[in-house]
Amino acid sequence: MTDSPPEIVRVDDLVKDFRPGLGLRSKRVLHGVSFAVREGEIFGFVGPNGAGKTTTLKVLMGLIRPTSGRASILGCDVGEAGFRQHIGFLPENPYFYPFLTGREILRFYARLCGVESSLLAERVNDLLALVRLEHASDARLSTYSKGMLQRVGIAQALIHDPEVAFLDEPMSGLDPIGRKDIRDIILRLKAAGKTVFMNTHILSDVEMICDRVAIIVNGRIRYEGPIREFLREDELRSDIVLARLPSETSTELGERFSATLQTVGETIEVQVREGQVQGFLEAALGAGAEILSVTPNRVSLEHIFLEAVEEGERADARADRGGEGTS
Amino acid sequence: MTRSLQRIWPIATNTVREAIRHRLLYTLLFFAVTMIGVAVLIASLSYVEGERIIQDIGLASIRLFSVGIAIFVGIGLIHGEVDRRTIYTILAKPVTRAEFLLGKFVGLLLTVWLQLLLMGLAFVGVSLLVGAPLDLGYAAALFLVGIELMVIVAVATLFSSFSTPMLSAFFTLGIYALGHLSRNLYFLGQEADVENVRRAATFLYRVLPDLETFNVSIQAVHGLPIPATEVGWAVLYGLAYTTALLSLAIYIFHRRDLE
Amino acid sequence: MIWVSWGRDAGSGRVLARDLGGSSRKAGSWNSTGGTEGLRVIEEGASRRRRARFLRGLLGLGVGFLALFVADAVHLRNPPSAQEGLGDAFVPDPAVADLASLGFGAVVADFYWLQAIQAVGGDVRITPELGAHLGKLVDVVTTLNPWVDHPYRFAGIWMTQNEQNVRTANRLLRRGIEIHPGDWRNHYYLGFNHFFYLLENAEAAEVLEGASQLPNAPRYLPRLAARLKSESADLDMASVFLQELLRGTQGEAARESYRSALDEIEVEQRARQLEAARVRFRELEGRDIEAVDELTRGAKPLVGELPSPEPSSLPASLRRGSEWIVDPSNNQIVSTYYGRRYQLHVPASDRERAEGWARERELREAAGR
Repeated sequence: MTDSPPEIVRVDDLVKDFRPGLGLRSKRVLHGVSFAVREGEIFGFVGPNGAGKTTTLKVLMGLIRPTSGRASILGCDVGEAGFRQHIGFLPENPYFYPFLTGREILRFYARLCGVESSLLAERVNDLLALVRLEHASDARLSTYSKGMLQRVGIAQALIHDPEVAFLDEPMSGLDPIGRKDIRDIILRLKAAGKTVFMNTHILSDVEMICDRVAIIVNGRIRYEGPIREFLREDELRSDIVLARLPSETSTELGERFSATLQTVGETIEVQVREGQVQGFLEAALGAGAEILSVTPNRVSLEHIFLEAVEEGERADARADRGGEGTS
Repeated sequence: MTRSLQRIWPIATNTVREAIRHRLLYTLLFFAVTMIGVAVLIASLSYVEGERIIQDIGLASIRLFSVGIAIFVGIGLIHGEVDRRTIYTILAKPVTRAEFLLGKFVGLLLTVWLQLLLMGLAFVGVSLLVGAPLDLGYAAALFLVGIELMVIVAVATLFSSFSTPMLSAFFTLGIYALGHLSRNLYFLGQEADVENVRRAATFLYRVLPDLETFNVSIQAVHGLPIPATEVGWAVLYGLAYTTALLSLAIYIFHRRDLE
Repeated sequence: MIWVSWGRDAGSGRVLARDLGGSSRKAGSWNSTGGTEGLRVIEEGASRRRRARFLRGLLGLGVGFLALFVADAVHLRNPPSAQEGLGDAFVPDPAVADLASLGFGAVVADFYWLQAIQAVGGDVRITPELGAHLGKLVDVVTTLNPWVDHPYRFAGIWMTQNEQNVRTANRLLRRGIEIHPGDWRNHYYLGFNHFFYLLENAEAAEVLEGASQLPNAPRYLPRLAARLKSESADLDMASVFLQELLRGTQGEAARESYRSALDEIEVEQRARQLEAARVRFRELEGRDIEAVDELTRGAKPLVGELPSPEPSSLPASLRRGSEWIVDPSNNQIVSTYYGRRYQLHVPASDRERAEGWARERELREAAGR
């Protein structure tokens, strides 16, 4: 595409080995990861826990050095520090100096970013308002809840009005209201023309707000592209829960509709493609089953994801025995 | 340069604030009480030179406590930040690792110097109380203790930049002990018959910090002259040694993966 | 083993979790608030524990420091151990102590100095062994901190039990003179030791002459030196020496020892007067006295009244009615207060030993040559 916006983040063939200890065999966590983030988009870096999301982000933040390959942000190598003026970072489960108050920690970060002292107080107040922490701004962080710390994390990441925000699991551990608040903040950033890079394993978030995704499994990129295209590849499915289905019918139905029937206690759960729901239900009822629920499933990513994971597992098992990735 | 300082300073002041809010001042209070208690006790034990003994103990306590504080706070300096992951958000800001390390170093040094100042005041108070002499020599002695602390803090920072607190404490204490022995090791080594032993002794003497350079407490207490040039050379030595240590620390820290 | 878990909607709590290894797993709540909250609490707890451990460490250091001095002070307040426990009282080699003190030489020196002071406090009789022990202590003290002042003279005062101790004390005094060349007192104590204990008047005179030009030195030092050169030791000279030592010495125990020496010299001077009278008695009567009071009897008494056999400084309450007798064992006039005649120099037993040492030394030197 010739008219696509400029690349803000560029990752090329990133490889990272970790040596668990002296004399131990090093373990490859990233196997040549490449992707790009374009200006103004919300980019979802998606994968199960231990897939290499956080490792990739740490390389981008210059916290660890890649074994090989290169990564750049805004055209600068990630080993430099200067461009950090223009990026914000929220680590996973952020933790801050517990002896400071919310206001003090934001002032601290603002000063590190060189925010002018005349603007400091105003800027800190704005951010406290943005993440709705005004009421607790003068309490020590040691008294903050997990959700409040996450909000502080967002606030410090945005304190210097960065062009790009890197968020590691921004919604993890939040209650529904907190999740919505942060979703709103991310959407506001996009509206303001900022670029957002977001690590997550929560697919509903991805589907809801991301423009493009890269899916990483066991240190390898499985897909990179617009979320809509990704979804188009697969039809929507419905979750069907039923009971009293004879086991031979169960096998037969599974083969006919190429679906996996899972026994959960006395009930059976199955996902069926949208066009086949009618046929499946008729067949099941015909076999004497009782239908407990039929839920149209809007999150098809999940299934594809599972397949990708299984595929990745098999590929890895072939490629090298023992290179299981990290947990 | 000024930009760097603008980033180093908040990290340093934050480190001081952390130390102060961690109730280190109680230690100081305890030290002051201990010192006064010991001074009174000792004065009753010796029928001569009681004031001298009080001052000996006072200066020794100051050195012991401040080095203890420097080591115990310093060893966890970097490790704690990595361990608690507070370093992630800081390094994601336009802060280089060198600036971060220097900020932590300066912060710890200011903390230790603050304690030194308070202990020094306690020392002056007790000396006035018992009518012991006080002159510029004591100021020079305390000042050089401050320079020695700068070297110790740099040693602790160096080890903390790549090692666990336990190992750092072990190494830093070792360097502290060797630093006070290095002259004696040198002299002992020069008496050896084997050429290589003499060379090794000379090498160690030149590599290890010569902490006795900063120890003029005996001269101060006995009113012996402490030439300004001697103090000047000691300061220069301390500054140069500290700079070398910090450079090494920055080099190591720069190459390190922060997991 | 890796757990992969993600939910379609965290709010619904509906979760699909699968073990990548293939075995099924019970559907549980995913990364919920509760779980990570717990993690944070653990972390916080850990840092609190670290902080507590650090404070405990510092506290321990302080308590240890205090305890060391308290324990030592209390321990040394009971002097009996100073003598009985000498075998256990380890005094390190000065060079080793210097190495091990790691720049805290001054305070370690103070530690041994206090041991030395406590060892002579109270009613302790200084045995030759204790004297030697004091020598080791002062040696360590003055090696670790040569700029100390009093310990050199402390050695001079207390190490007088035998020749070896006196010689050690003299060595320490010479170290003191080297460090404090402008202080006449170390010279004075050294001179006294040469004169009083070692009978080395020439050395004593030389040392005193060296001190006579120093600031605050007593004006009679040159005269004393001159007399030492020309005469043999006499009681007056010892008295002058001792009076000056008494004037210049702090520390009640040491002063008491000088006072008692002066008292003994006083009684000795009286005994010598009586002996002189006894000689004339023999000349006049052609026989020796049978009792001392014979000297006051007769037509022309040689002595008007017998002098007090007890020192004049003795308070009336302590007087026990002593008298002068002729000691049958050596036929000397003796005050029963002391039961023996005063000897200017070391006691006879020590003199024999000192002569023994001198012989050994000569033998060693002969062998060395």
